[in-house]
Amino acid sequence: MARFLVHRLFAAVLTIFVTTIAVSMLIHLVPGDPVQIMYAQSQGTTPEELDAVRERLGLDRPLVEQYISYLGRTLRGDLGVTIRGEQPVLELLLARLPNTLILAASALFIASIIGLSFGFVAAYKRGTWLDTTLMTTAILGVSMPHFWLGLILLFYFAVQLGWFPVAGSGFPNLVLPAMTLGLTNAAIIARLTRSSMIDIFDQDFVRTAHAKGLPKAVVLYRHALRAGLVPIVTMMGLQFTYMMGGAIVVENVFGWNGVGRMAIQAIFQRDYPLIQGFILMFAIVVVLVSIMMDVVYVLLDPRIRH
Amino acid sequence: MTDTILQTAPGKTSDTAEIVLSVQNLSTEFHSKKGIVRAVDGMSFDLRKREILAIVGESGSGKSVTSLSIMGLLPHPAGRIADGRVLFEGRDLGQLSDRDMRKIRGTGLAMIFQEPLTSLNPVLPIGRQMTEGIMQHLGLGLAEARERAIEMMRSVSIPAPEARLKDFPHQYSGGMLQRIMIAIAMSCDPRILIADEPTTALDVTIQAQILDLMRTLRDRTGASIVLITHDMGVVAELADRVIVMYCGRKVEEGLVEKVFHRPRHPYTLGLLGSLPILGQAGAVGDTELTEIPGVVPSLDALPPGCRFSERCGFATDRCRAEDPPFEEAAPGHFTACWHSDQLERAAR
Repeated sequence: MARFLVHRLFAAVLTIFVTTIAVSMLIHLVPGDPVQIMYAQSQGTTPEELDAVRERLGLDRPLVEQYISYLGRTLRGDLGVTIRGEQPVLELLLARLPNTLILAASALFIASIIGLSFGFVAAYKRGTWLDTTLMTTAILGVSMPHFWLGLILLFYFAVQLGWFPVAGSGFPNLVLPAMTLGLTNAAIIARLTRSSMIDIFDQDFVRTAHAKGLPKAVVLYRHALRAGLVPIVTMMGLQFTYMMGGAIVVENVFGWNGVGRMAIQAIFQRDYPLIQGFILMFAIVVVLVSIMMDVVYVLLDPRIRH
Repeated sequence: MTDTILQTAPGKTSDTAEIVLSVQNLSTEFHSKKGIVRAVDGMSFDLRKREILAIVGESGSGKSVTSLSIMGLLPHPAGRIADGRVLFEGRDLGQLSDRDMRKIRGTGLAMIFQEPLTSLNPVLPIGRQMTEGIMQHLGLGLAEARERAIEMMRSVSIPAPEARLKDFPHQYSGGMLQRIMIAIAMSCDPRILIADEPTTALDVTIQAQILDLMRTLRDRTGASIVLITHDMGVVAELADRVIVMYCGRKVEEGLVEKVFHRPRHPYTLGLLGSLPILGQAGAVGDTELTEIPGVVPSLDALPPGCRFSERCGFATDRCRAEDPPFEEAAPGHFTACWHSDQLERAAR
């Protein structure tokens, strides 16, 4: 287990290192002069001011030098300041990150409850009208874009019924965005759960459990679900990172004050330091979650543990 | 009711031991894309207390489906019992509720399978898989169930059982796992153990140990055993009586020594011909190993007449046109062959 963790951590550091290269070069990937693009919307910036910005961002120096100085600053925890507000990027991101994590976690919770139960029932009732109904619903869910489902929910539950606030931050505001993100992802979990459970129901050990005369519920939950959960939980880790991505859209639809909304604003304002910081932070979250999932996977499956 | 069963019961007439299991005219069908196939077609037999009955045949003969039909473990919804009934201690299992059937599984009928590794849950410790049935059926608490599990593991010669309870299936060897399967199956004192190819996946040396263990357990507990196998060597080793199945039907039935000594169906002769016999030339014809030509016909393309006729060296026009009845050819020795007398002369 210890060796496994060391191995995973090493891979994680490597991944993040590669990400820093990509992030630091990002600014040069956009055609044209980055500083001019950044300040294209602001009136009356003089060429001298632009040169000053170039110097401050180190854009006048060779690429390798730029990267080394970027890496050095990043390692010290300095992600730079935004181009407009001149606020520290790290501080801004960390202030908003909990909101996004809460949204993604709530969405994952909703997705898991719905996805697991739909998928499990569909697998158990495979080939019946119930299976067909549940899986058709799931396909609809997978196919529905976040922003569209978000707008529908917003229209019915916030505008027409008035059950939830339209926008803002706080628990009542969390419900609709979490539902939007959760429902579309529930469909993916439902489909995976169904195929995983159908596979498990046909396994010899499930037949053995029946042969022992155990009650049906014990066979289904202790034996089948427990074994079927291994691939599903791994998938959920991936889902969590998808949801972080989905949050970018959903946060904007619902005005939820997370990093996703901030990232969109940063993109519109061509705020390179903030975009870079956001991407780096996102990469770190994804890497951390995948390490966590690897550990959970090992804990769930004794065949790997030993 | 016992009288009627006794009339249909083959075997030694002197054998008056109680009948614990009676399979009567059992037919099991499977629904597939190609249509409905009858995997078991009118199967009947009685199993007496303490008896070890072997059911032999190649893959596809219907022997495993017979055992799953008895246990009520047919794959759902593809397989179903189309006709006949299974009486366990006089109770018609087909009439029982799902709940009552679950009470009988484990305590009345227990089963072990061919692949011990896939037949045990990979993510649950062995101890849990042993105690859950004991707690369910014997109403014991966890501590007592653990004691019982350790006792059972000891009875199947698992070294250091206390330490091995927390281990998972993949940490055991194949032979040890089959011992665990047997220990689980025997843990609630079942009246009947159904063993579906219990030694097929194991090394030859381990096979002998497992067969030995099964006999010891039968002697100790008085349980009856239905042994499903394709291996005549295993039958000779363990069984009292044997039923030979082909394409879902019985083709021969009798005491092991009679069937081995004087097979009355060409298929049995073929199965015995593929069995090496040490230092005993000519017992079943020849010292050279022979094999049955051809393959088992598909159940949806059975030949008219005798189902074995296409592969049979003795087949005549009558065999290809008329299905032979399953009849008593000698006292306690039954077969379905038009030429069983001729076969007996040939074997002599």
